[in-house]
Amino acid sequence: MSLYEIRNMAVTISGQRLVEDVSLTVEAGQCTALIGASGSGKSLTCLTPFGLTRGVAMGSMVLDGIDLGSADAARTREARCRITGFIFQQPLTALTPHLTVGAQLQEATMQAGAARPSVRELVRQLERVGLYRADERLDQFPHRLSGGERQRVMIAAAIAHDPKLLVADEPTSALDASLRAEIMGLLDQLRAEEGLGLLLVSHDLASVEGHADQLVVMDKGRVVERGPASKLLSDAREDYTRRLIAATPRLQEVAPKLSRPGEILLETRGLGVTFDRPGWRRGKIQALADASLIIRQRESLAIVGGSGSGKSTIGRGIAGIGPVTEGKILWRGTMLPERRQRSLDMRRLIQPVFQDPVASLDPQWRVEDIVVEPLRNLRPGLTTAEYQEMARVALTDVDLAEEFLARWPTSLSGGQAQRVAIARAIIASPQLLVLDEATSALDPLVGAGILELLLRLQSENGLSLLFITHDIAAARRLCHRIAVMEDGRIVETGAMQEVIDHPAHPATQKLISAS
Amino acid sequence: MLALITRRLMTAIPTLLVIILASFFLMRLAPGGPFDGERPLDPETRAALQKAYGLDQPLWEQAWLYLSRLVQGDFGPSLVYRDFTVSELIAQGLPISLTLGGLAIVLALMIGVTAGLFAAVRAGKTADQTIMMAATVATALPTFVTGPALALFFGLWLGLLPVSGTGEGLSWLVMPVVALALPVSGAIAKLTRAGLATVLKQDHIRTARARGLSETKILYKHGLRPALVPVASYLGPAAAGLLTGAVVVETVFGLPGLGRYFVQGALNRDYPLVLGVVTLYAALIILFNLFADLVYGWLDPRMREG
Repeated sequence: MSLYEIRNMAVTISGQRLVEDVSLTVEAGQCTALIGASGSGKSLTCLTPFGLTRGVAMGSMVLDGIDLGSADAARTREARCRITGFIFQQPLTALTPHLTVGAQLQEATMQAGAARPSVRELVRQLERVGLYRADERLDQFPHRLSGGERQRVMIAAAIAHDPKLLVADEPTSALDASLRAEIMGLLDQLRAEEGLGLLLVSHDLASVEGHADQLVVMDKGRVVERGPASKLLSDAREDYTRRLIAATPRLQEVAPKLSRPGEILLETRGLGVTFDRPGWRRGKIQALADASLIIRQRESLAIVGGSGSGKSTIGRGIAGIGPVTEGKILWRGTMLPERRQRSLDMRRLIQPVFQDPVASLDPQWRVEDIVVEPLRNLRPGLTTAEYQEMARVALTDVDLAEEFLARWPTSLSGGQAQRVAIARAIIASPQLLVLDEATSALDPLVGAGILELLLRLQSENGLSLLFITHDIAAARRLCHRIAVMEDGRIVETGAMQEVIDHPAHPATQKLISAS
Repeated sequence: MLALITRRLMTAIPTLLVIILASFFLMRLAPGGPFDGERPLDPETRAALQKAYGLDQPLWEQAWLYLSRLVQGDFGPSLVYRDFTVSELIAQGLPISLTLGGLAIVLALMIGVTAGLFAAVRAGKTADQTIMMAATVATALPTFVTGPALALFFGLWLGLLPVSGTGEGLSWLVMPVVALALPVSGAIAKLTRAGLATVLKQDHIRTARARGLSETKILYKHGLRPALVPVASYLGPAAAGLLTGAVVVETVFGLPGLGRYFVQGALNRDYPLVLGVVTLYAALIILFNLFADLVYGWLDPRMREG
């Protein structure tokens, strides 16, 4: 008998059927991964049977002999707190801010009726998930821990009562690549040691590869395909699965065809950024030190690094939307002044695109006004009809139909919103786009579409791209060269394939082995 | 935390100085003086009085003199209650005002937080709507309406509580405290309800629910503290407001609190008395705001980072 078996389950929220006919099994000691784009119903599928969403689940859901489908609220609660542990996506918000790590861990240990654990027991639990100096951690509040540490605490709390099933909803999506690999490794280890069954939810095929035994691919609330992971990855039958696999960037895939770079467009020499420490504390933070790089015409340069490595700081400095405290930026050999002293024409040449496409568009503005806004500032004095025509052309360039001009940002999907953001960036004919994690928040299929769009814009318009990302495999699809950053410094630069084949710096090696 | 307190107290000094000087000069800009009674004094007496209280000196010099006395804890003499110093008047009125204000805050917190909690748990239901409507009414009614209404009903018609003065026992406190607490409790109920509505949607509540905790425990252990952050930020200024707002209630119920001296001092141009009360209020407001900041840090440890 399987540890957890769902058969023909449907989920409805206020009468609307959002998930239909889902079947899956989780075996003890094994990992079943539920893969799908955002809105495919994968989180609803795994959380609703436990009463953790607003939805109602119908069908057969048998967990360790308890049918969650027919159980009453008390029995569902018992199945949830005795047999199951949960890990959620955002490790900061998923932990209670005003309770110490120790208090939360204690609560988690006692949830299945265990006695109050001793401090030594709590320390042991933290050490089990690879947290060091565990006795200090017990007295800390969650916000004092780093993202990876928080997720480890989350995992420690999820397994503190020795559950049989672990439900992990996007456990690594908020973490950078090397942390992602560490957390997945930890989950593998726990499965092997404790015989835990793992139901893993992810939008990212790459992050579950090599960890999942069973794959279930979902789209629009239905299961598209399911089977053993190795078989599904090598021999997918359904078109959707194949497209998903193809969209997921891999380091081993065939090298892309890139345009030929021209002469040097932009150069930074010894760029540095120091901030005052926030709050009342004295001192400075060196966010970026001695960063020198060049970008040629029609060239894409990837800046890759973990969170806090300074990769966004350098991008913001170059785009003129963040401070630069040392060094200089040269544009075609002439010195680029700081933002306020840049002429309108200079500002036009470098345009930014941000990570969260929906948040970077003003919800009160129509798409047309959003796209046209740079023009009104950078090329004033044109007629409304001219502006409108240029907005239409810009939308066509990003493969959006003319009717999108009248839409509001809230009615756009993530991919459409990012296309609008790119249209806004290219409408004033810039020569360099600074893309800060422009595909990181998107589903793999949508992100792959944006990468293709960028490639096409580069070959058609001769754009240079500064592609800031933590995902080296995604960068490889687009970029000629790569600069790897760690602790505010560029530690390695070179041609993309060269660096991937022969990484010299430990930081690069770590990034590559984590992809 | 000690560093925060010291720093805040250090910045309080210039703040107080500015407030004192501004009130000092503003008061002097207003026409009239302490000796302009209904019957005009003859010029000689008037000049003598002016000289006795140092009012014939240049303004800057008077300000300097006032400040240098203040540093030694001397608020100066009252110009109208000529047998008393300002310190004596404050010592008489302050205990009454502090008792009124303090009890009103406690009562408002008790009523407000309980009502807010109750409404949040029943969000969208009739109980929630009734409570929120009552809170709106309570906030909207000024104390000069509720005070006399209470006095009329419980004092005159039912004869349960004394209408005026401090009388025997503690029953005289009931109506003034209720009148003071009502509008504040309405605001607190609304803030608690809104804070909880936000917090109960957050991820950590789902984590607590996943652990199988009862809804009551989720509410108290995981939800309430972060939800009270807006209440704390309101309470600093509100606490100070309760002391100053007590002016109306003290007048309605005929209580010899600080507020009454404040109003009379202002009407009579009793410069030292008004300045003394203003200084005291300002210091209290600064203290309460500091206290509110410390409470924030307890409610949500993330705020301790500054």
